[in-house]
Amino acid sequence: MADLLIQVREVDGVAVMRPEGFINAHTVRMFEDALEKLVASGRFTILLDCQALNYISSAGLGAIMGLIETVRENGGDILLCNLHENVFAIFDTLGFTQLYRVFPTEAEAFQAMAGKG
Amino acid sequence: MRAAPDPESFRLVIPSQTRYLNLVTGLAKRASLAAGMDDATAAKVSIAVDEAVTNVIIHAYRGESTHQVEIELRFREEALEIRIWNTGTGLHDEDVVLPDPKEYVKHPRKGGLGLLLMSRFMDEIHFKDADGRSECCMIKRTPA
Repeated sequence: MADLLIQVREVDGVAVMRPEGFINAHTVRMFEDALEKLVASGRFTILLDCQALNYISSAGLGAIMGLIETVRENGGDILLCNLHENVFAIFDTLGFTQLYRVFPTEAEAFQAMAGKG
Repeated sequence: MRAAPDPESFRLVIPSQTRYLNLVTGLAKRASLAAGMDDATAAKVSIAVDEAVTNVIIHAYRGESTHQVEIELRFREEALEIRIWNTGTGLHDEDVVLPDPKEYVKHPRKGGLGLLLMSRFMDEIHFKDADGRSECCMIKRTPA
C-alpha cells in the first residue's frame, strides 16, 4: 500500500480532503501539493477529514501552517474532523487545537460552517 | 571472537532517505508496545523517532541520500532507550531551543516543531558527540 493516498471531494462549496496513511517528511510534498492545488483553484475553505490518517509529523503540520494565512485572508479556513487519538495528541501538544477548528465528525464541521454549531 | 550481542537491544542501519521513515517508526511503535507501553504512548514514541530521524536526514545530512542513520533500541528495566547516530552536522543540548507553544499560536510559522514534539512525547532527550558521531538519545520510561 502507498504511504499516502489523498482523495478530494466538493461538498456545498467546501473542499473535503481525505488523506489516508501517513504524512511525514517522505509524503509531505504530496500533501502540500494537494493543498496548494486547491488554494490555487480558489477553494479557500478546506475540511481535512482525518478518519484514515494514521499519523502526521511536524512536516505535515508545517504544510498546513504554510497555507493558513492565505486561506483566511481570502475568507476561508482549514478545518479538521475525525482525528484519531494520536493525531489529536500531536495537534493538541503543539497548541494547534487553538489555531484550528477541530470537530469530532464531518457533520458537526458542516453544522458549524453553516452557523449552527 | 566477536562478543555476544546484547540480548536487550538491537540496532538498525538505514540509508539517509525518508522512504525508510515508516519502517523505523513502525519498529519503534512495536518496541514500545513490547516494552509494556499502551497504544497511545507507543504512537508518541514512534512520532518522536520519526522527528529525530527526519532531523538527521534533512538537517544533519542536508537531504543527501548516501549516508547512514543508525538506530538502537535498548530495553532497560525501567525505560526504553532509543539512540540515533549520524556523521553529519550534529546538534548539542545547548543548541536546542524549543519554541514556546503559546508564542507559536500567536505568531505561527514553519519549523521548530519536531524538537518540541520529541521533548513533549519523550521523558528525556539528549544530544552529544559520541566516538566521532553525533548522538541523539531519547528515553521513555515504561509503566511500573
